[in-house]
Amino acid sequence: MSHDIGCLRAIEAFYAYLDGELEDPAAIADFEHHLEHCRSCFSRIEFEKALNERMRRTAKHESPDALRKRVGKLMDKF
Amino acid sequence: MTDSDTKAFFGAGVEENIDALYSVALRLTRKDADAEDLVAEAVTKAWSAIDSLDDRERFRPWLFRILHNTFISDYRKQSVRPQEASYNAGECDDDDLVTLLNEQSDDFLVWWSNPEREFFNDLLGEQLLDALDQLPEAFRTVVILVNVEGFTYDETAEVLGIAPGTVRSRMKRGRTLLQKALWQQRPAPERCNT
Repeated sequence: MSHDIGCLRAIEAFYAYLDGELEDPAAIADFEHHLEHCRSCFSRIEFEKALNERMRRTAKHESPDALRKRVGKLMDKF
Repeated sequence: MTDSDTKAFFGAGVEENIDALYSVALRLTRKDADAEDLVAEAVTKAWSAIDSLDDRERFRPWLFRILHNTFISDYRKQSVRPQEASYNAGECDDDDLVTLLNEQSDDFLVWWSNPEREFFNDLLGEQLLDALDQLPEAFRTVVILVNVEGFTYDETAEVLGIAPGTVRSRMKRGRTLLQKALWQQRPAPERCNT
């Protein structure tokens, strides 16, 4: 059964949880149990998720055609 | 595996990762032309070193490691901004997030603990990129690899040649610094003049 880990331990686990690096099922369950009972940490996690999504959309770029052609030419020479 | 198989494997791997290579190169160099040069140079070096790739399942981190090493050897000096020059990322390797937050101002902590719901409505893409570009390189690279390109901490450690625990620490500080930069960019609250 999950127990409340409190905000300080939850904060320490924020990024590991968000980045899929919290592997122990019991640790995940404890973290999620805390989120269910702490409005502040829940809001913060939602904010972090939204920021991640925004970063992915903003900082992912398509490579320019010129670069694709340049790399294609390099590949032809290899 | 024949030479043509190797070349086909390499070509497919580069093609699959070309957008990600360019995106990471752009955040490292902060200049379009330099990013293109960096990718082209890294691809050339990677092909020359293809025999050093022991496990083809590890192609992606191996390729990005060559990109990063090429950046360090050929581009880093010209892309470092003055405020970054004296920053020693190694100093933060034992950071925990609570300690990091305790170093911040009360105003920032109030916002951090309860950011405005409308924050993302007002956040422009260029502001976010600017905030990312303000991060010292050690943190910027980790945040981009993990949060934008989806590398695991272990893969990121492999790309950068650092310990996974260092990736974890840099993520905490990088994300805190990023949010501080975004917080500082927020428009000032409207003042009541009456």
